Amino acid sequence: MGQAQTPAARRYLARFFPAMIAYVAVLFASIWALRHLDPQGPLLWLVAVAPAVPIMAAIAAMGLYMVEETDEFLRAVLAQSMLWGIGITMALCTVWGFLENAGLLPHPPLYLIFPLFCFSFGVAQPFIARRYR
Amino acid sequence: MKNRLKVLRAERDWSQADLADRLEVSRQTINALETGKYDPSLPLAFKIARLFGQSIETIFQDEA
Repeated sequence: MGQAQTPAARRYLARFFPAMIAYVAVLFASIWALRHLDPQGPLLWLVAVAPAVPIMAAIAAMGLYMVEETDEFLRAVLAQSMLWGIGITMALCTVWGFLENAGLLPHPPLYLIFPLFCFSFGVAQPFIARRYR
Repeated sequence: MKNRLKVLRAERDWSQADLADRLEVSRQTINALETGKYDPSLPLAFKIARLFGQSIETIFQDEA
């Protein structure tokens, strides 16, 4: 999405980046609270899950962009890139899982799956776009 | 799918950006259409046909 942007792409960026900034803020607040306030019971659940909320907002922003983008070609490139992102993420997780099963790799935190998807989706996009040049 | 978009555009002396504006799509879409690597949806094909005042069949050639 580096080119001249459609209104939907601008709305997407105006949603995605604030969500990521909120994520960093909530993440640090949550880590700090877990260490220093020693929350218990339902409060512990709330403090622990808090960083996931802005991530879900970022995922929703991605979904909304897909719905709101009126340019059919850009939407097609986006859909194919997302499918590659999903495929790469699932393939890597499956490979890791079996290697972990054999004691070859440690257990990774599951919250790394979203950044892995974003990375593979982002890397796929220019390759998909190049096909149409 | 092969098409005459580039020729029709050149006849009117429009840039890819001009055509993109008239069709309310991105410039990348025009480029992908002109290379013949991306086939437009029916609504976009009709829009293109209306803009140039020609039928879809005279603009897009089915190679089958």
